Amino acid sequence: MNILVCIKQVPDMESKFKISSDGQWYEQSDLTFKINEYDEYAIEEAVRLKEKLGSAEVVALSIGPERTKEAIRKALAIGADKGVHIHDDESHKKDSFQIATIIASYAKDKNFDIIFLGMQSQDRASAQVGPILSELLGYNCITTIVSFEYQDGKVNVKRELEGGIKAKVSAKLPVVLTCQLGLNTVRYPTLPNIMKAKKKELITINVNELLNEQPRVINLKAYIPEKKKGGIILEGKSDEVADKLISILKEKTQVLR
Amino acid sequence: MFVDYYKIDDLLADEDKLLRDSLRKFLEDNIKPLIKQAWHKQEKLDFRTIAKQFGELGILGSFIEEKYNCPGATYTTYGIVCQEVERIDSALRSFVAVNTGLVMYPIWRYGSENQKMKFLPKLASGEKIGCYGLTEPDAGSDPSSMKTTAKKIKDKWVLNGSKMWITEAEIADVAIVWAKDADDGKVKGFIVEKGTPGFYQKDLEELGSMRAGGVGELAFTDCAIPLENRLPNIEGLKGPFSCLNMARYGISWGAIGASMDCFETALSYSLDRKQFGEPIASYQLVQEKLANMITEITKAQLVSLRLSQLLNENKATPAQISLAKRNNVRTARFCAHTAREILGANGISLDYSPIRHMANIESVYTYEGTDDMHTLIIGRDITGIEAFRKK
Repeated sequence: MNILVCIKQVPDMESKFKISSDGQWYEQSDLTFKINEYDEYAIEEAVRLKEKLGSAEVVALSIGPERTKEAIRKALAIGADKGVHIHDDESHKKDSFQIATIIASYAKDKNFDIIFLGMQSQDRASAQVGPILSELLGYNCITTIVSFEYQDGKVNVKRELEGGIKAKVSAKLPVVLTCQLGLNTVRYPTLPNIMKAKKKELITINVNELLNEQPRVINLKAYIPEKKKGGIILEGKSDEVADKLISILKEKTQVLR
Repeated sequence: MFVDYYKIDDLLADEDKLLRDSLRKFLEDNIKPLIKQAWHKQEKLDFRTIAKQFGELGILGSFIEEKYNCPGATYTTYGIVCQEVERIDSALRSFVAVNTGLVMYPIWRYGSENQKMKFLPKLASGEKIGCYGLTEPDAGSDPSSMKTTAKKIKDKWVLNGSKMWITEAEIADVAIVWAKDADDGKVKGFIVEKGTPGFYQKDLEELGSMRAGGVGELAFTDCAIPLENRLPNIEGLKGPFSCLNMARYGISWGAIGASMDCFETALSYSLDRKQFGEPIASYQLVQEKLANMITEITKAQLVSLRLSQLLNENKATPAQISLAKRNNVRTARFCAHTAREILGANGISLDYSPIRHMANIESVYTYEGTDDMHTLIIGRDITGIEAFRKK
């Protein structure tokens, strides 16, 4: 079985973000980067499937500048077999359609059976790349999976819906799956596996070889929202305050219904 | 958040950064939640479990080659491991540095092929735990005055004497013991296994430092071990000293870890804590303390990183290692008490790490060569005159 995992390197979300000088994105220097959290679940699930099947190849692909290789190395240390770095210093300016197009041009003649992606990236949060990719490749697509099983050419997964409901869904291969929190617990890469990952194949392809599309969605401006004013202060007798608090909780939250 | 004021990360190999992040997450998820109670109650962490977890992560004997089931990484990697574990607690770094630098290293460097195949894979996987017996009740800075003896009687070496202040004394399955040959007076190294008749192992209680780990004593009463348990390829004090170099080097990185944790704790506390209506970080005296801490930490990071490169190239001298151990432990001691000060009354609570680091670092300050001894080793190196032995 051929498995592709698409990962993105994003800033540590605890960083202090500054708006970049062109006003369209955040400033990337001085940030610490790591693998997008949802993509880690994707890698882990792909590696677990490979370990279960015994014979499968997991390819980890990432688009971005030179530092993106660090993310791919981590995927290789978790257990992916081969890395593909699509070198693009301007990847942050690409829209979801362009990103999906790049992946589709790489994947179109590779016969991948399953493509795992994170549900969304933590920095752009469009959640579109997986679905667009499946359309471009003509694959089935299931989003936000929280459990996964492969059997006889089919995947059986659970999806997380709003309001605490889950759904069981099944699809035939080939399929694109986007992974949600709760799918698995990602293993800690071990030193011996990190050392082995150094020796695994990591190829680099220039983005221009794979992309010939203009963006369809343009980011006009990135900004840090103004701080909201402090909370509401309830005043009066304690029983009145309690009644007000209860009515606010009923109206504005789901704590009380 | 990383304490990396000089972008030292850019000088690290990808695999070292990857290991650092992986190990940090493992420790924060699994060990950090246990440390306060372990230290407070002086109930040692479960090193049987931790040894296996560390073995699985592959961080024991990190610079030893793959054929002994070790990762075959660099001395820099070993340093990063020490930094990360001591960022949690010095007892964890003691465990790693003793097993890697003082137990696996001498077997690897001075042992027979049989000894290497027998012990290294099990020490690397954490199936076995080691300890190191050099210091004695009356022989600390001057190990040449050791009283423990080994006498060759027929097909056995028979050991008599005692060793003191031994990390993991009680739990250890394997002890590397240095003793004087009763016949020729030369210091020789021996591997003593748990359960050997006449071998006694006991941890100390009521300690004010390193309370989450084991520190104890070993005693040998006509303890007979097979001839093949002697380390064949070493004689004299240069054996134990070369091991100490490996542990001291690890300590130099570990001290950075403890310093980082103290700095991070103090910085975040000073930004949150408000007095006179403003965060205390806005006051000049607090800023000076924070600036001093980050300056000392940055210097320590650069010293250890350069030293790791020298070791990787087989060019490091013992005096250079002394400089790093001395400087960086001083840094940790300074950062721990400065962080404690910034935290005010909260600084004496074990809810915050600095006071625990502060007490731990007192052990580190004088073990593996006291601060004074390292001063004199550097002094001897730069002047050519020895100042610690009166003729």
